[in-house]
Amino acid sequence: MSDLLRAPAEIKYAEELDWLESVDDAPKPFAWRLSPKMIRLFVLGSEPSDGLDREIPQKWFGDRSIVERAVVTLASDRGLLLIGDPGTGKSWLAELLAAAISRNSTLVVQGTAGTTEDHIKYSWNVSMVIAKGQSRESMIPSPIMTAMEGGAIGRFEELTRSTSDVQDALISILSEKYISVPELDSDNIVFAKPGFSIIATANSRDRGVNDLSSALKRRFNFVRIPVVTNRKSESEIVRFRTEELLRRHQIELDVPPTLLDVLLQSFADLRAAAASAGSDDEKLESALSTAEQIGVLEDAILHSNFFGDRALTAGTLAASLVGSLTRREPEDLAIINKYLHGVVEPRSKDEGGAWPEFLEGGRNAIASMS
Amino acid sequence: MSGVVTRSAAGPSVEGSFTALRTQLQDAAATFAEGPDALGEILLGIVDDVDRAVREPLEIFPVCHHSPASALAMARRLREKQPKVVYLELCEDMAPLLTELRNCTLPVAVQAFAAEIEGFPAEWAPLSVVAPITEASAEYQAIAYALETPGVELVLVDRSSDHVFQWEPRDTAAPEAPADPDAPPVEEEAALHGDAVGVEIGDLRPRFAQLEEHLLRHGRVRHWSEWWHQYVELPLGDKDSDYATYRQVMLLIGSLFRRLAPGDARRVQVDEDRERYMWTRMREHLAATGTDPADCLYVCGAFHAASRVDEFGVDGTDGFAISPPGGTKWQYGLIPSSHAAIEAQFGLAAGSVSIAATVWQKNLKRNGVAPYRLVGQGAAKKTAAAAKKAVAKKTAQIPAQAPAPAPDDAADKLTGFLQRPPVIDRLDEAELLGWSVDIVRAARRNGYLASTADAIAVFETSILLAGMRDRARPTPYDFQDAAVTCIEKDAVPGRRDVRRLVEIMMGGDRVGKVGYDALPPLARNVHDRLAPLGLKLEQRGVQRALMDIAGRPELAACSDVLWMLRYLMPHGAARPIMGERRLGERSIQESWDLALGTHQRALIELGYEGVSVEQVLEQRLRRAAYGPKATAASVLEGVEDATLYLGSRRLADELGLRALELLAAERTVDGAPEVLRRVRRLLAYYRTSEPTLPGWIESFVKTAYAHYCTLLPTAFTDDDATVRQVAAMLGFLFSMESLALSLGCDRTQLELAVAQSHPEDPSKLALLWAAQLHLGRLTRAALRARCDELLGNPLVLPAYPRYLSGFVQALEPVPGLSDFVVEAVSNAFGRLPDRVLLPWLPTLITTLRADGAELAPLLVREAGRVFPGRLADLDAWIAPWRAGEPAQVPAAARRGKAGGVGLALLAAHPATCDAVADLLGCEGTWADPGAASADGLALVGRHPATAQAVAALLGR
Repeated sequence: MSDLLRAPAEIKYAEELDWLESVDDAPKPFAWRLSPKMIRLFVLGSEPSDGLDREIPQKWFGDRSIVERAVVTLASDRGLLLIGDPGTGKSWLAELLAAAISRNSTLVVQGTAGTTEDHIKYSWNVSMVIAKGQSRESMIPSPIMTAMEGGAIGRFEELTRSTSDVQDALISILSEKYISVPELDSDNIVFAKPGFSIIATANSRDRGVNDLSSALKRRFNFVRIPVVTNRKSESEIVRFRTEELLRRHQIELDVPPTLLDVLLQSFADLRAAAASAGSDDEKLESALSTAEQIGVLEDAILHSNFFGDRALTAGTLAASLVGSLTRREPEDLAIINKYLHGVVEPRSKDEGGAWPEFLEGGRNAIASMS
Repeated sequence: MSGVVTRSAAGPSVEGSFTALRTQLQDAAATFAEGPDALGEILLGIVDDVDRAVREPLEIFPVCHHSPASALAMARRLREKQPKVVYLELCEDMAPLLTELRNCTLPVAVQAFAAEIEGFPAEWAPLSVVAPITEASAEYQAIAYALETPGVELVLVDRSSDHVFQWEPRDTAAPEAPADPDAPPVEEEAALHGDAVGVEIGDLRPRFAQLEEHLLRHGRVRHWSEWWHQYVELPLGDKDSDYATYRQVMLLIGSLFRRLAPGDARRVQVDEDRERYMWTRMREHLAATGTDPADCLYVCGAFHAASRVDEFGVDGTDGFAISPPGGTKWQYGLIPSSHAAIEAQFGLAAGSVSIAATVWQKNLKRNGVAPYRLVGQGAAKKTAAAAKKAVAKKTAQIPAQAPAPAPDDAADKLTGFLQRPPVIDRLDEAELLGWSVDIVRAARRNGYLASTADAIAVFETSILLAGMRDRARPTPYDFQDAAVTCIEKDAVPGRRDVRRLVEIMMGGDRVGKVGYDALPPLARNVHDRLAPLGLKLEQRGVQRALMDIAGRPELAACSDVLWMLRYLMPHGAARPIMGERRLGERSIQESWDLALGTHQRALIELGYEGVSVEQVLEQRLRRAAYGPKATAASVLEGVEDATLYLGSRRLADELGLRALELLAAERTVDGAPEVLRRVRRLLAYYRTSEPTLPGWIESFVKTAYAHYCTLLPTAFTDDDATVRQVAAMLGFLFSMESLALSLGCDRTQLELAVAQSHPEDPSKLALLWAAQLHLGRLTRAALRARCDELLGNPLVLPAYPRYLSGFVQALEPVPGLSDFVVEAVSNAFGRLPDRVLLPWLPTLITTLRADGAELAPLLVREAGRVFPGRLADLDAWIAPWRAGEPAQVPAAARRGKAGGVGLALLAAHPATCDAVADLLGCEGTWADPGAASADGLALVGRHPATAQAVAALLGR
């Protein structure tokens, strides 16, 4: 495909996007490359009833109305803020939307405690300023400014990690849609072209760290991405991401559906246990998110590919689960041990299947760790 | 299928009107399924169903619940056809209640209720069936038409409430509630129906999940209500859609869901039996009255209209035997309902019934149809007046409302409908703007920082969202999504979020009210009797009643009613804020929080039990007293309640005798503390308020005295009987002794019982000692000596706290022991080692708090008497129980007596000590013998043996 470790969505799905663009005859807002309906189709996949000649796979799993609301927001005057728990696919959705709308999802500012206003607006190439003075040439535009100039979608990851004064630099960008450069005497305003908008993501666990000012809140539409609790969609997500991973590592390995079920079931059990736990000591430190499940599976796949006999087994999966979820000793280990003995052991007796091997693998992993 | 063909051939002569559609579907089936097999059969079967229903001489009107389109078509059709008989799919035994709808504000539910059941599993009781009726429903139009038009008969033809349960399988318990873990907690309004079984006309929804999922996915909608709204409601509620199209489309959907509903055979069986039932009833009625089927209208759910049972139709077979109702006695009434309750009961999306109500109002305005309405209904009088005007206008336009000829129903309207593109409703800009402004206003009122800019954004987003979902006009659901997108931020500032605000704005939840005249006699009676309070009790919400009974003696009767209501109704219906009712006491002022309007259903259901609150209360008390769980203590409580709330000596006496009966049969002493408490209270009451004690209480005391004497020895040794229970038995025996003896009991019985008791448990042993003390078989000095002995014996020391617990409990039967208990506790504090005392302290505190709430003050008072009140007195204070002991010799005096012999010896021969000190690494120096501490000296003086032995060794 490409020689990139991880290609951005517009490169990865370039051919699909090209094709969609070629068949898309619906009206497009601004300079969008696809119409809103096609974007929805690109993100959520096609149905036979859509009447397309080829099948478009689903790329983001979640409620359709979320995607619709997100797309519509980008077509309106406001920025889009995707908010949700870690591991719910906010950034992935943002990347897909940016790729579909402007074919560029890399205009990203990463919000951190060290993000400054320069990262959002522009900075200067000091040596050029010394050599030639301040000019448009010696200016380094931020990704957001680049997006404005190109009428593209700019992305701001983890908006709430950056400090409030930095966040507020977005207010004028979102309302006036220009950035003025007072250092320059002429040509000192950078106007946004039609099509420019911002997709920001924020972690709902970070609430209260750097709260958004109400002025900024007004300029964003909030779309909350819920945690996936539905077993079916979760298995779809895990399968989708794993396939992608296998492709990326060029591994030819089969993930048996029974093992996927074992993984999903064990996470569901551990979540139930965490929900009923009384204190933090009785809970795993891990949040047990879908992303974590993918991590466990990835670990197991890589292990069996490089150290095993190129087939994923329940034992490897159990070892990977124990390894990934044990962060504190002995608390986490004790919880997993309790889970293996209290839940997996009776189940392996009752149901059989992959469970006995899973139990064995888990026990061995715990034995080697403690 | 063959039956279908036969009958459709026998129908009117419009044969072949669906031929074109049939051919077309056959072709389609051949194309898509590569052969005219299953798919073709289903598709053609659907057309057959429609064809057959359309040709039926008795006009079938298929409806769907809460469908404004159905209601609209119904109103139109009724005006046109003016049928003489309306058959309605509703439990036939509910018919007499429908006239009472006149006195209600919709939505209300017709309820059939049975508390005492016969022929059903006992755990099903009480049985309750509700059929909610809203204004925007076709059935309401039919009911209103039939009741308001002279000469029109309304016949309910569905199975009776009894049959609803007769046809339930016996192995499952109550009908299960949908268990959705993510479901929000049920709101008060949503629980209005309680746990009744809901019946509804026109339940129309795919019977298997895959079909529904498929429809939702392809319809690009989120839930069933939205699908219905977009694909059926809008096209059918349109101004241009005619009756024939409506009928055929509804039949088509009914048939589709019927044919694509595999699985649950039992459910299908019940549905078919209901159809047989209805058709049998209709044929019976037609035969009995000789009505022409052409003058009738049969209103039923579209699902049942597409029936294929043999009994279907006026000419159907008469093979169905209707089983007689069982012996269960049913009561009927109207209870208030609400949109939220209907949505919760029938699994509809939140807000869908409210949206249906709004759409209904809009359709009426748009299409100029005058709806039928029962005269005298409380709600929406204004709309009623408007409707009248519209009717007048309409009648002016159509001079003679002769029964319209049967429409050319059998003509194929389906092909046109199915081929028509989705109805694109034009954008109603004014309406959407209105919504946008209103939602921003509502959001601001609820704490959101929403502004005009948000209204603009909501407006714009609604249109964009609708566009994305292939509709030009945003539906309320699109608008809701848009409002959530633009206004909802990371947190909800107030009680309601934007989604809920939109629901409220779109009509909100409407809660019905049952009018005074439609209430059961009991509820009317309650309202009448509370009239002196001058409150509007039928209104929802909490109202404060302030009663100055001393100033207005007539309010005493209200107070009686309120106390009874508090006893009978759920918490919150009547709550006393000030004033209480206890035996022998009456408040002169009371204040109450009343919410009878909110709890109207509970009041109405109370009405099923009797005609007055007194009767219901008496029944309940009697039922509890004779129930399987009754104990002597619980029946004594009933006696108290009967006296308190009913003032009924007759009932109190009856229940008292029952308590006596139960007590004699009891073999455990579990209830002893409660019995003691209640009998004491009742005795005190009767002694002060009655000239003589009632006969039952005398017998009760006599019997209980003998009963507890008999049980005492076993209770002392029985591990299951707690100290508190034994203490209560002794309490009863000691405190009722004089009364019991005066009634002829024998004291030796008690003495024997105590003598026979040999407890092993320390706390019970202490209790026994206290009893012996009370009976004079043990002196105080002996008891004290025993306690000292316990404290002196290191082996029993750890058990000492348990003795103390026993003594504390003994205060109940022997209150005179309090000074001794204080002494024992003080001794324990003084002498018990910390390792025993400290772990026991929490136990003492919890015991005192839980069991001895009334004992603790006694102890505290006694301790206050014994211990000095001021700090200064403490120095000179000597505990009363030690007053007799010889005074302790001061330490200094003791010290003086000892000689300095040992010390001198040590000073003279320091080598040993120095060697030991060196060995131990101690670098001490010798102090002056004169200044040496006297303590060591005293010690040597007291134990001279060692020194003497050393002296002998040293040869001195």
